[in-house]
Amino acid sequence: MIEIKDLHATVEDKEILKGLSLNIGPGEVHAIMGPNGAGKSTLGNVLAGREAYEVTGGSATLDGTDLLDLDPEERAHAGLFLAFQYPVEIPGVSNLEFLKASVDAVRKAQGKPDLDSVQFLKLAREKCKAVNLDVSFLKRGVNEGFSGGEKKRNELMQMMLLEPKLCILDETDSGLDIDALQVVAEGVNAMRDENRSFIVVTHYQRLLDYIVPDYVHVLANGRIVKSGGKELALELEEKGYGWLEKEEQESGAE
Amino acid sequence: MASNIEIERQIAAREYKAGFITNIQSDTLPPGLNEDVVRFISNKKGEPEWLTEWRLKAYREWLEMESPDWAHIKYPDIDYQAVSYYSAPKSMADKPKSLDEVDPELLETYNKLGIPLHEQMALAGVAVDAVFDSVSVATTFREKLKEAGVIFMPISEAVHEYPELIQKYMGTVVPVKDNYFAALNSAVFSDGSFVYIPKGVRCPMELSTYFRINEAKTGQFERTLIVADEGSHVSYLEGCTAPMRDENQLHAAVVELIALDGANIKYSTVQNWYPGDENGKGGIYNFVTKRAVAHTNAKVSWTQVETGSAVTWKYPSCVLKGDNSVGEFYSVALTNNYQQADTGTKMIHMGKNTRSTIISKGISAGKSQNAYRGLVRMNPTAEGARNYTQCDSLLLGDKCGAHTFPYIESKHPSAVVEHEATTSTVSDDQLFLCQQRGIDTEKAVSMIVNGFCKEVFKELPMEFAVEAGKLLEVSLEGSVG
Amino acid sequence: MSDFLAEQLSLATKQTGPEWLSELRDAGQRSFSDAQLPTRKTEAWKYTSLYNLSNAGVANAAPAAQGHAPVIPGLNGLRLVVCNGIPDVCSSDPEAMELVVRFTDADAEQQQAILAQLGKTLADKGNLFSDLNTAALTDGYFLNVAKNHILRKPLHIIYCTTPVTESGDEKFTVNTRLLVNLQSGSSATVIEHFSGEGEQNNFTNAVSEICVGDNAELTHYRLQLMSEGAYHISNCHIDLQRDARYSGFHLALGTALTRNDIVVNHNVGGSHCELNGVYVPQNKQLVDFHTNIEHKVANCTTEEVFRGIMNDSSKAVFNGRIHIHPQAQKTLAELSNKNLLLTNKAEINTKPELEIYADDVKCAHGATVAQLEEKATFYLQSRGISKEEAEVMLSFGFINELLDALDDEAIGAWLRPQLAQRFGRDDALTTHIGGDL
Repeated sequence: MIEIKDLHATVEDKEILKGLSLNIGPGEVHAIMGPNGAGKSTLGNVLAGREAYEVTGGSATLDGTDLLDLDPEERAHAGLFLAFQYPVEIPGVSNLEFLKASVDAVRKAQGKPDLDSVQFLKLAREKCKAVNLDVSFLKRGVNEGFSGGEKKRNELMQMMLLEPKLCILDETDSGLDIDALQVVAEGVNAMRDENRSFIVVTHYQRLLDYIVPDYVHVLANGRIVKSGGKELALELEEKGYGWLEKEEQESGAE
Repeated sequence: MASNIEIERQIAAREYKAGFITNIQSDTLPPGLNEDVVRFISNKKGEPEWLTEWRLKAYREWLEMESPDWAHIKYPDIDYQAVSYYSAPKSMADKPKSLDEVDPELLETYNKLGIPLHEQMALAGVAVDAVFDSVSVATTFREKLKEAGVIFMPISEAVHEYPELIQKYMGTVVPVKDNYFAALNSAVFSDGSFVYIPKGVRCPMELSTYFRINEAKTGQFERTLIVADEGSHVSYLEGCTAPMRDENQLHAAVVELIALDGANIKYSTVQNWYPGDENGKGGIYNFVTKRAVAHTNAKVSWTQVETGSAVTWKYPSCVLKGDNSVGEFYSVALTNNYQQADTGTKMIHMGKNTRSTIISKGISAGKSQNAYRGLVRMNPTAEGARNYTQCDSLLLGDKCGAHTFPYIESKHPSAVVEHEATTSTVSDDQLFLCQQRGIDTEKAVSMIVNGFCKEVFKELPMEFAVEAGKLLEVSLEGSVG
Repeated sequence: MSDFLAEQLSLATKQTGPEWLSELRDAGQRSFSDAQLPTRKTEAWKYTSLYNLSNAGVANAAPAAQGHAPVIPGLNGLRLVVCNGIPDVCSSDPEAMELVVRFTDADAEQQQAILAQLGKTLADKGNLFSDLNTAALTDGYFLNVAKNHILRKPLHIIYCTTPVTESGDEKFTVNTRLLVNLQSGSSATVIEHFSGEGEQNNFTNAVSEICVGDNAELTHYRLQLMSEGAYHISNCHIDLQRDARYSGFHLALGTALTRNDIVVNHNVGGSHCELNGVYVPQNKQLVDFHTNIEHKVANCTTEEVFRGIMNDSSKAVFNGRIHIHPQAQKTLAELSNKNLLLTNKAEINTKPELEIYADDVKCAHGATVAQLEEKATFYLQSRGISKEEAEVMLSFGFINELLDALDDEAIGAWLRPQLAQRFGRDDALTTHIGGDL
């Protein structure tokens, strides 16, 4: 599904990703964990094509398509979805207008038939219910005045509407209480199927109790330094990240 | 508000410590202004023909111009024929060769002001040019600076020693016709400092000019020119004081800064001209034109602490000509009693990715009027330029005024300008909290005012930040009964 | 005196109007007779040149039988259509005709009420164009809402300029005057709607004088949707009495020249003013808003928000002054002005001003000229929306925030598609904004 090879990226001339490689097959859920400042959020932003993040080496392909060559919206059309850690508020642009524009663009690019307003409204209401968000949120400005949990559920709703191939959840658990976390996890789990893959970026193991990953990777200092099964997350929870960094330093010194 | 009355009393009782008169014999031109006076000044300084002509041309321009009336200040029409345009201590007539030949009375004046001119007693790391009425008394550390290739001398001497530099740069940043007071200054300017920092040189000391008006009925019209060649750095500070007199005295200066590619000029001012008494009698009329041109990758930073003068009309500005050049303006302006200040800056963005920051803190007390006036202009060429402006006013008492007049002109879609202004007072709640914690009103107000100005003080060179803090404290010091 | 002013004066002096207005009219003519056109040296006209005003028509408008007055769907209002200065009886609601007194129809009692208020708020100003309006004062409209009366339906006054001749190329001048008096405890919504057709360079000079009485409440819309070539100058004065509430929305689409002076006086105490505005000039249009809030007394509040988007080679001027008089303690006043330039030929000049003479007040203003937020553009792009469409949506959202805040949703719904056209000339880019889904 997605193949990332030796990816290097800089932000304001500072190298954040230093040769990251990762392969994710269809239907797989990969968790990426790591200490603060390891480059976890950078990965999502680079894959989604944010301008300030400059790719200086390596490659990333989604089903054979070179992602790095595409504009952000073209990556979305290709089936990549980034659930933001801090979704931006856009007063004045209604959530509904925004969602319709987004769904129209993606469906058009994917050769799917247009949804008319009635069909769309019905669908949007359905998804609102699925993520336990009152339909009144559709009329409000995009994320405007939403609580942390509401913003994350709004992200999830967009994911459901767009039906992407690859979902990147960027610290979706940050700032969520346990109830909100469960709602989000249930939504994600409902979307899991054999053709859709997930990258779940998180600092804490807790989220992985609810979204159980197939693989866990540790990202430190811009690279994957350790990979394993879901039990690795528990190990990290117990020991923290310090031992890994130490291990890496030692292996680097050899 | 009882507490505010208390604050007012304290502030009104501020003491002007630089208000003494030096008893000295001076050569003073009788009041009046005409072409002969302009020629006299030029002749007195032994200037070359071109400069005399330059002055006369400026004088003729000035005659055609009108005094600006747009500022938020009121003062009686100035009688330019009642001002003396040249005054110098008699002892300076022979041009003393060294400090030992300088009249001890003059040296004592500067000692009293806290600016000893003997190098062994002087503040380490600061070179001083001391200007007394229309002449420079002494310039310290000249030799040491010369070793680094830095030129620091009275402009009247630079005209003779470096005529090509003066001719190349003088009047290029502030043209003769720029405004009424700049034209007047160009005609009758007396002394001031000239600084040249060669390519790539980091000036080894702080440079400083101390201006002192002493003689009655005289005006001071100094002119300062600083040229920082490519990649050089310099930090410059000026201070100014005058005796307490019942008549208003005129001060109209011009300062031109040129920061060539990659150069960095930091210009700080502590302005403490005599502000007049508590009834608004006397004080300096301070009409000053200060402007800098910043070339590619250059940076100019203006910092000013304005506590003196009866009237202040002053807008230190930056023309950000080169790409990536940076302009900064940090200002504290305190007005009290009947003082009036209309001060601010202009940031003219011409180059790409130019940046400017304006932080202005106005404190009004007594019956004073304090206005910020600023212009931020994004020219059609200012792609990616940015400005951030923050103007805060603090009102102490309900008889004073605080005003904000920011002009924003933008002609480039990618330029970003942000302006914010707030106004506040020292609230009863704040005072009560301090009092409850055992801090008296005077100290509390002083703390709050200092906190209000902190952002600007941190931009001053260390020694002067302390001085500026003290100056404000003196302003708020008084007879707590 | 410039030719334009001299012609205007001569046009004004030739008019005949009711005798009881003649004293005011004469005074207007006197103060106008030695007027000069302001130049760029006049601070209030620093960024707006009146040089082209001489292109505007100076002639009396021929009475048009019927104007093409636009309809705002869903607005359950009382329509008063004024076409080329004359009431258009066919297009107006009879109820509106009854509610609003035309000066020339006023009875003795009404004449007295009009004279008691007319020109009073303007008296100390000496404004060239309100003087001209008074000099040409032959008619006008008066809304008087009785004590404690609640006007349930909004009054929708539509001023149209309509060409009368076949060719439609005549140019003319229209002076309009509106007087509103909300007596104590009353409440009303007034929509002043300026509409025009064709490309002709008509000159409209509008003056509105409004008094909101003790504890009364006015919701005021001033919508300027005129033809591209129009010259429009307006003066709007609002007096707020004790505990009065004013909520205003001022929209200028832009014309060859649009200049609006809005003055709000907090006269007695406890009053609240909410003043919002939007300007969106395009092509070579010019919009100039000068607002002035006079806090003359203590305990009043002002919230002012103006936003503008300049497209093509257009230019906008915003000058927002807040003046706190020495007695005006405990004032809360805030002003925000935000601007977007869409091209490198567009221009904005903004100047928020604070003049404060009282210490126990909270005042702030902010002005920005900015680009669209990169974060927001990226967010939309990451959801598959093209950069071009994202920028159109975000530009629209920038002013739509103020439309969303309008009390009357019908007005917002009617304005949105018209405003949307300003940012996306390509229909494909505006399909997701402005309309109903």
